Amino acid sequence: MAKVQVLNVAVLDNPSPFGNPFQFEITFECMEDLPEDLEWKIIYVGSAESEEYDQTLDSVLVGPVPAGRHMFVFQADAPNTGLIPESDAVGVTVALITCTYNGQEFIRIGYYVNNEYTDPELRENPPIKPDYTQLQRNILASNPRVTRFHINWDGCSDKMEDSENVDPSPNSSSSSSMVPSSCLAGKALPVGLLSGNSMDCL
Amino acid sequence: MKLLKPSWVSHNGKPIFSVDIHPDGTKFATGGQGEDSGKVVIWNMAPVLREEDEKNVNIPKMLCQMDNHLACVNCVRWSNTGLYLASGGDDKLVMVWKRAAFIGPSTVFGSSSKLANVEQWRCVTILRNHTGDVMDVAWSPHDVWLASCSVDNTIVIWNARKFPEIVASLKGHTGLVKGLTWDPVGKYIASQADDHSLKVWRTMDWQQETNITKPFNECGGTTHVLRLSWSPDGQYLVSAHAMNNSGPTAQIIERDGWKTNMDFVGHRKAVTVVKFNPKIFKKKQRNGSSPKPSCPYCCCAVGSKDRSLSVWLTSLKRPLVVIHDLFDKSIMDISWTLNGLGILVCSMDGTVAYLNFSQDELGDPLNEDEKNAIHQNIYGKSLAITTEAQLSTTIIENPEMLKYQQERQRAEQANHRMTHEAQAHKLTSVVNGESLEDIRKNLLKKQVETRTADGRRRITPLCIAQLDTGPSSIKQSSQLSCLVFSAILSCSASTPSYRPVHLVFCSPPLSIPDSVSGATAQASSLNTTAMKSNLLLTTSTKMEPMKALDSRFTERSKVMPGVTISMFNVCLESPFYLTGYVRVFSSNYKVGTFYQGHFLFLLSPTAHLQATPSSEKEPCCVVAIPVAVLKLPTPTPQKAFTLQVSTEPPVYLEVENDVSAVSGAKLSQLRCSREGREWDTLLPSRVITAAGSSDVVAVACEDRMLSVFSACGRRLLPAILLPAPMSALHCAGFYVMALTACTECTVSQSLLTQQGVPVIGLSNGKSYCFNSSLETWNLIADKQDSLVQCADFKNCISSQDAPVSQGPLALTQGHNLNAGRLASRLSSTPHHLQHGMTLVFLENQLASALTLRSSTEYHYWLLIYARFLVTEGSDYRLRELCKDLLGPVHKSAGSAWEPTTLGLRKRDLLRELLPVIGQNLRFQRLFTEYQDQLELLGNK
Repeated sequence: MAKVQVLNVAVLDNPSPFGNPFQFEITFECMEDLPEDLEWKIIYVGSAESEEYDQTLDSVLVGPVPAGRHMFVFQADAPNTGLIPESDAVGVTVALITCTYNGQEFIRIGYYVNNEYTDPELRENPPIKPDYTQLQRNILASNPRVTRFHINWDGCSDKMEDSENVDPSPNSSSSSSMVPSSCLAGKALPVGLLSGNSMDCL
Repeated sequence: MKLLKPSWVSHNGKPIFSVDIHPDGTKFATGGQGEDSGKVVIWNMAPVLREEDEKNVNIPKMLCQMDNHLACVNCVRWSNTGLYLASGGDDKLVMVWKRAAFIGPSTVFGSSSKLANVEQWRCVTILRNHTGDVMDVAWSPHDVWLASCSVDNTIVIWNARKFPEIVASLKGHTGLVKGLTWDPVGKYIASQADDHSLKVWRTMDWQQETNITKPFNECGGTTHVLRLSWSPDGQYLVSAHAMNNSGPTAQIIERDGWKTNMDFVGHRKAVTVVKFNPKIFKKKQRNGSSPKPSCPYCCCAVGSKDRSLSVWLTSLKRPLVVIHDLFDKSIMDISWTLNGLGILVCSMDGTVAYLNFSQDELGDPLNEDEKNAIHQNIYGKSLAITTEAQLSTTIIENPEMLKYQQERQRAEQANHRMTHEAQAHKLTSVVNGESLEDIRKNLLKKQVETRTADGRRRITPLCIAQLDTGPSSIKQSSQLSCLVFSAILSCSASTPSYRPVHLVFCSPPLSIPDSVSGATAQASSLNTTAMKSNLLLTTSTKMEPMKALDSRFTERSKVMPGVTISMFNVCLESPFYLTGYVRVFSSNYKVGTFYQGHFLFLLSPTAHLQATPSSEKEPCCVVAIPVAVLKLPTPTPQKAFTLQVSTEPPVYLEVENDVSAVSGAKLSQLRCSREGREWDTLLPSRVITAAGSSDVVAVACEDRMLSVFSACGRRLLPAILLPAPMSALHCAGFYVMALTACTECTVSQSLLTQQGVPVIGLSNGKSYCFNSSLETWNLIADKQDSLVQCADFKNCISSQDAPVSQGPLALTQGHNLNAGRLASRLSSTPHHLQHGMTLVFLENQLASALTLRSSTEYHYWLLIYARFLVTEGSDYRLRELCKDLLGPVHKSAGSAWEPTTLGLRKRDLLRELLPVIGQNLRFQRLFTEYQDQLELLGNK
């Protein structure tokens, strides 16, 4: 079983202007002392169409982690607007928090993010080139999508044996940290469907 | 038998493979398939047992769910102490869970259900050794070992005191091992596997004792589990799936020679699970005084793939009951409640059924002592530590206990100078005095962030709680209580004359809200006109007793003179013991009062007795003397009599008057036998009449004293002086009704204590205090009381206790106490009688101190009482005492436990008593149990 359980993620400073940093207050619990650090990442999905626009906003190591309940605030800068397709700047997208141990991802928390103009005038007639200073980012904090993966917590030995009883998820192999988020996007979040039902979820 | 299928116990339709009821009966665990993992759920038992609890939305049904197993959970088992839960699953793991104290209820983050876990159960150990699915787990008697078996054909014995140490790995099966059971005496463990064999292993050297194959040769096909079971007397082992003449059976294997001559036949498909009732039964006693010795027998439930359940008694040739079509799929597991009357069954179809039997159906369960006696007879050793001689070899099981024992030795060496500190204070949920909220506000600023050598950010997380530390806050649900009494007594008066009637009702415990202040009472429509009409003459004979009163009450009440009380709605609020009481006066009727969760209802048409404490020091007592008009017939004292007071469970009372003469005084003995458990008590006066119910026992004596005892024989109230000789006495549930014949009484002098309790000393050497809540005079001192003269508790007075000589009780009793202290030298009574007298005396003292509201004296006598119980080994009373002091741990409707008594916090008192209990190693279970519960409750 997982040695680390995420108990809660609180989204701070939400909603906020698009340019503000992301802040997540993460509470997790650890069953026993971890010899290695945990690595947390925030990934911003720039476009639902293609994973090539995914941006890793930041990655932090968290440690040392003794057994017990811990919390920290993960702050990361806002996405680089230059890497976001102009057509996808306004509307619903996704932010992901992932955590890996020994290079193996064991949890992925996805949030829907809605970017929209606060000014009704701009909302009616959005400029062709998005005005990021006027955009407001609203993370749908009440509805996280959590996917957990079974990983080998005890170092790299007998990895083969352990992988037998693990769900056939593409991410459970040791190379998971290298794999961009998108290969799981289909499982974690129906990103492709977002544009259609965005009004419902917001 | 009652049958219930609680639909809310489900794993969302997924199969439930295992069920186990917690030893304390308050919860049960289920294990099975979860969404994409294995699932263990802990459920509250109360909503299964009581319909009102099921309907009450404030009572949680699910207490905790754990999704930590990676694959389907095949077995969940509570340890015998109830502290741990072990689960084994298809992920090859055995997990051991412990209740953890926590900051508060938490949800599973990201899960769709918003239901919070009410209790926090944390995996404390993961046992990894099996290379295949774990099919069954079993705790040994005394929780010394935990055994697990697996489809890897092995059985692993884990050291339950030192997880994850492996004691032994039992190899020999050539097929999937699917069931385990320990011998109740701890000599063997048996396993059943798909290799058509059942093997018995010795715990001495972990070698195979026997291999039984014959009954399984024909077995074809497989069952998911083969849960076999050992009978509680250790004499029989019953297998799962066996075949006899090509019919599926459950094979009975005799311990003596491992003979296989008998089986349970009748299921149409393979037997998946067999589970013995933990109790041994004997035939119901029909007539009280001479219980005919009958052969004890066991009870066994058998579940099968054919979806039916059968329950067998070893004394019957045919099953007691067979229930077909209880489920849509195979039965997977069975669990009995510890009292042996309830049974939970789970099925592959994802549902659970609860069956409840009555003692009429199963018989009288033997108590633990009798069960141990059987073990001792057969095996020469018993599971329970019963004699002092065995104590020297007793293993100390708990670190607190060990710590305590060691400290005690040291203390003894240091000439009793050291005192023990029982509590090791543990971390709470706040860090450095800051609350979690404060921490959260500044977390970003405060958290330590560094850069690693390669320039990456590294955050040191803030530790907000260590595992298993901060005690969980268990909220005591206080509920608005409203007493609704609907008692209509309307009888035909055979004579037009007016008969005085005293009715005393004690109701079941009630919970009282703290919020309301000021005792209020309303008597709605106290029908005085009906009363008058009764005086004239009524022809109808009708009575509607309270629900709790049984039919016997109804019948006997018919002869009573007519009184009509239609409805009282009484709202009480001040929760204090003895202080909150209600009186309702209507014409000459008084109704009222509250006493430790018992509602006492007094109605006396003629007597109007009232104590009005005006100023503390002035003796002031107004006594209106009742005038007797007509006497009811009073029973004459007999030498001895016996009566059965309850059938469900069977309770017999035996009274023997003038049983023994000690220094010229005569004592009467009351003996009560209940479910094979007996207690007796001594009374200073001859018993005229006695009555009892499943909850209380009441006796009336010649000297007009009414004594009320608990089911275990603990005195609940000091002797109540009834205003008139007793005429009749009835009990039902927590209700006691006393019917007296009224006579005149006079009181010569009175005084009022510091606590505002009026005390009267009479010239005949007796002292009474007025119990305002009971509105009766209670006997607190009697110079002629032979009990006082003979009680010997000298050994129980600790040198550390300051003798209480200033309290009101000591003042009234005066020199009598000194006489008592010397009793051991003065009298040469037999020990058991001496023991009984001391016990009775100490309980009297305790009850009197309570009535006098003398907290220092109460404290003083409580400690002495506890020391006496500990040295004399009165297990049941000690347990009852602790239980009362601890109060309810779990939420349940209708609990009226008060946290304080006389301004003393009960749990603090318990904390004080625990070291006393720890002095006798025999009570280490009790010590551990309450120590842990106290810790869990986290009383600040």
